[in-house]
Amino acid sequence: MTDQPATRSRYRPGSLELLALGLLILIVGQGWLVGFFDDSPALQTGATIFVAIVVQALPFLVLGVVLSGAIAAFVPASFWRKALPKNKVLAVPVAGAAGAVIPGCECASVPVANSLMSRGVTPAAALAFLLSAPAINPIVLAATFVAFAGQPEMVLARFVASLGAAVILGWLWLRFGKAQWLRIGPRGHLVGSNSWHTFRLTAAHDFLHAGGFLVVGALAAAAINVLVPPDLMRAVADNPLLSILVMAALAIVLSICSEADAFVAASFTEFSLTAKLTFMVVGPMVDLKLISLQAGTFGKSFVMRFAPATVVVTIVSSVLVGWWLLT
Amino acid sequence: MRRDVQAIILLLIGGATLRITLGDTYLNYVKEVMRPFLILAGGLLVLFGILGLIDVLRSARVPAGDADVEAEAAQQLDDELDGHVHGHDHSHGPRAAWFLVLPVLAIFLIAPPALGAFSAARETTNAIPDLSEAQAPPLPAGDPVPVRVSDYIGRAVWDDGLTLIGRTVEMTGFVTPDPEGGWWLSRMSMACCAADAFASRIKTVDAPDLPANTWVTITGTWTPGGGTQSADAIPLVVVESLIEVPQPRNPYE
Repeated sequence: MTDQPATRSRYRPGSLELLALGLLILIVGQGWLVGFFDDSPALQTGATIFVAIVVQALPFLVLGVVLSGAIAAFVPASFWRKALPKNKVLAVPVAGAAGAVIPGCECASVPVANSLMSRGVTPAAALAFLLSAPAINPIVLAATFVAFAGQPEMVLARFVASLGAAVILGWLWLRFGKAQWLRIGPRGHLVGSNSWHTFRLTAAHDFLHAGGFLVVGALAAAAINVLVPPDLMRAVADNPLLSILVMAALAIVLSICSEADAFVAASFTEFSLTAKLTFMVVGPMVDLKLISLQAGTFGKSFVMRFAPATVVVTIVSSVLVGWWLLT
Repeated sequence: MRRDVQAIILLLIGGATLRITLGDTYLNYVKEVMRPFLILAGGLLVLFGILGLIDVLRSARVPAGDADVEAEAAQQLDDELDGHVHGHDHSHGPRAAWFLVLPVLAIFLIAPPALGAFSAARETTNAIPDLSEAQAPPLPAGDPVPVRVSDYIGRAVWDDGLTLIGRTVEMTGFVTPDPEGGWWLSRMSMACCAADAFASRIKTVDAPDLPANTWVTITGTWTPGGGTQSADAIPLVVVESLIEVPQPRNPYE
């Protein structure tokens, strides 16, 4: 906060020059680069899978940020407070269910939950919304339907397991949470000379942010696909308990956007449906990028308690629902 | 990340999406049904990029005071969405956006091909659904009759080849070398995108040796011996004629 005027100076040689230079080097070195990839079928296959995941997820991501931008720009914040019941115990499942109609990927839902809290929505309800919105919104469910063609029960299982986990975590916070663990950040004013401008800036920003994390996830998924021997994957996949834990761990590490994670989950063809379900229930609620986002927004003492609780509740919920609906 | 760079990255990723979708390249990665959505998404990203650049140019022209206010407001949004505490270093937008350059580079510089022999060889099973419950319908008329590789496997493995007896079939696929000699006529299928693709493989009999990933159209007849009623079974085809062909427009089945 000390040197704000200085850091906002007129000209900053930096990202633009870096981008131009990097592109120039790569274009000059293209022949070498292509030869390098041609010589390695594994690398080439990895590149194909990487591009495929990004391309497949892109339309869903764009749709998600367009809708989240529209909500940020066109729905007044006071609407949420009026819509929720006064009774806190009741407000949690209502807020959780509201996640089903309000699209937005998890990166966007962190600041939304923050703004809900700062406008007087009870934190437990805002947290239930934070967890459920990225997991069960219509775009995510549509993506899941497309990714698991021929297995529509997966969509229902995802909905039930995610909403259940979100509501339970909201109630846990209501019962055990302490106000001093949670730092509710100030909500700055939105940009834009008008609503349309705000919409566009929010959508573009959300896309850049979430898209970046999607690319990281696609890279990791492609690398695992090519590097891990199929025999090892099969051995892990054949062990019911281990496969679920491994998929949960992958979801946390890969940090894939919820709009895209169904496609990645479906790509783990060796794994059981319950293990894939675990991947899709855990990922939108807790992963490395969310932990860092939440730590920045709500503070470390919140994340230290909330993240482990979320991991446990999401895994238990997936296993129960998987056992109920997918076997 | 500066706002002009953000706009350029939007242009790049949107442009790359349009570039592969306006031709047939996207079929190397996803299903044909995705095309209109990809065009829409790519077009929107390009639009956001162009409008973002106009914003930057315009704020460069207005008096410094106004530009500052606008830049500050934009930065505040950036920080908020990044989850940064206010008062953090203000010179960065979403840093993760840098990663979006990677798929753009992959598309323009490397242009990854459709999955081929490397992926097909990794599979140990022919992931063709079990057709033993439903009797396979007879093949349509034609001599030779065009058949998909996966369809042939389904009929040969799960229907004991009953519908293939006495028929000459025509199939198109690529060469995947069999480690035990000879090669498999193979084709990849996808449920959704190349990340979940699985291989269909048929062992060729009486076929000349060919390098991996060569696309061929063969005619041939079914012969027992590849095993039945098992996902591990790789059926056989006796090759009668073979021509090398270019990769089909849609390399997947």
